[in-house]
Amino acid sequence: MNEVQTVSGLLLAGILFVLGLVGVLIRRNIIFMLVSVEIMLNAAGLAFIVAGSKWAEPDGQVMFIFILTMAASEVSVGLALILQIYHQLKTLDGDAANKMRG
Amino acid sequence: MELSSINILDVLPGILLVTASLIAMLSIAIRRNHKLIFGVTTGSLLGVFIYLIIYATNHSFTVEPLFVIDGFGTFITGLIVLSSLAVSLLSYAYFEQREERKEEYYILLLLATLGSAMLVISKHFVSLFLGLEILSIALYSMVAYLRKREKSDEAGIKYLIIAAFSSAFLLFGMALVYAQTGSMDFKDIGIYMDSVSNNGLPLLLIAGFAMMIVGIGFKLGVAPFHMWTPDVYEGAPAPVTAFIATVSKGGMVVLLVRFFGQINGQHYPVIVLSFTVIAIASMFIGNFLAIRQNNVKRILAYSSIAHLGYLLVAFLAGGALGVEAVSFYLVAYFLTNIGAFGVIAILSDQERDAENIEDYQGLFWCHPKIATVFTAMLLSLAGIPLTGGFVGKFYLIASGVSAQLWLLIIVLAVNSVIGLYYYIKIIAVMFDKPKAFEALALRPRLYLINLITLVVLSILMIWYGVYPQALIERIQDFLK
Repeated sequence: MNEVQTVSGLLLAGILFVLGLVGVLIRRNIIFMLVSVEIMLNAAGLAFIVAGSKWAEPDGQVMFIFILTMAASEVSVGLALILQIYHQLKTLDGDAANKMRG
Repeated sequence: MELSSINILDVLPGILLVTASLIAMLSIAIRRNHKLIFGVTTGSLLGVFIYLIIYATNHSFTVEPLFVIDGFGTFITGLIVLSSLAVSLLSYAYFEQREERKEEYYILLLLATLGSAMLVISKHFVSLFLGLEILSIALYSMVAYLRKREKSDEAGIKYLIIAAFSSAFLLFGMALVYAQTGSMDFKDIGIYMDSVSNNGLPLLLIAGFAMMIVGIGFKLGVAPFHMWTPDVYEGAPAPVTAFIATVSKGGMVVLLVRFFGQINGQHYPVIVLSFTVIAIASMFIGNFLAIRQNNVKRILAYSSIAHLGYLLVAFLAGGALGVEAVSFYLVAYFLTNIGAFGVIAILSDQERDAENIEDYQGLFWCHPKIATVFTAMLLSLAGIPLTGGFVGKFYLIASGVSAQLWLLIIVLAVNSVIGLYYYIKIIAVMFDKPKAFEALALRPRLYLINLITLVVLSILMIWYGVYPQALIERIQDFLK
């Protein structure tokens, strides 16, 4: 992979990461926050693949598979928690779930 | 990688922890029995600890390319296992009177211990990531374990989103570092940095490190990435809070020390400057915000932010003395925090944890033993002489002096004085006149296991404060 391709690949990953970051910060629905975090994680995975192909090594792709696995298990716990919160509060608004302050 | 070259005896602690969690899982499938699974958990943790003592390795052993099992790693693994043991001893009575399904908690506890133990011996980004995620994912469920409490769910989802968010930062940073250096091994990254340091570090590498620092900062809960700490501490069940405060954060600190040592972080002004700012901000923000609190769990949360700031002083000092200071401070900090949260766990009832400062009014007159333990723990957190916390702080200052970090030492000393105020405030409340009778109803009967654990913890803590030589020699022995 030549230098230009690496740079553009990392730029794409960076743009995706920023999109996810903005999503987490401005979205108030907990499910959308979780989706945005997923986008950030996948952007990191993409960056790993780009880096791996720059050095012509499989390590980047191995790391991506680990990231996918981790993201899947994290979402499963997250959705279970969201279900529990919805049962209690009857809403998924992040601000409504923010009761602890101080 | 040659699997045959791995000495099975060196990696046995990890294997034992995995096996224990599998046995725990299977035993739940066969029959739900809280006593049985508690026995399996404590037994296996105790077994791993005894194994580590008997087979304490002073030689460095690497499992290429992922792990390095050296004296430092072994010592901290032992500390982590022992703290998990103390947490599980404190958890039994706490969960016995609450949740109807309490058995799964122990699987999660064992897995989180495994994750932290992997974290402290990793020397590669892949093992760092795997250890960290095994730890975090087990912790999400542990934080939200008391499903019927609204606070617990709220803390769980907050912790999940923040942890995944910070993992994303950490991973993106690691990808950038990998893209620049072509290696994910700590040592190879250090060699690469050494080779380019004459013309200044490349921009991509600095960006990668900045993102990694953000990710690690969130995991450690240091300022300015601390805002999740008080909420999660407040919402999580008291034993789980003890676990987060000690094992989870401690594992991350040790990893940071190892990474920083391998890449020779002290030689790069950018990195040193950013950690100095983080340390100073954590000390001030943690202590000043703790003063305003009336919730004991939140006070301890802010105090932990400040304590991690103190720890960063020794971390920045680096060198052999710095590592020694970090090891000693972690021992004192683990003992003290588990003790303090153990007191909260004992005093909690079914509905809520004993977290309001009014719950402690007059504690000394109705439960003198618990109040004495709590007083000792708070004094150790404040760093009063004759406690483990004092010697730990002294050690931090000594390592800072040897590295001539004058600014950080002055800030540390000033903050120790500020911190004294809110610790003494809790102690004063405990010696107050007891309030009306209904407040005392919050205190359920005392559990013998918890009480014994707490007494042992406080004796150890005072012993290491009065006679630290034994522990120091032990640590030096391991670090050789």
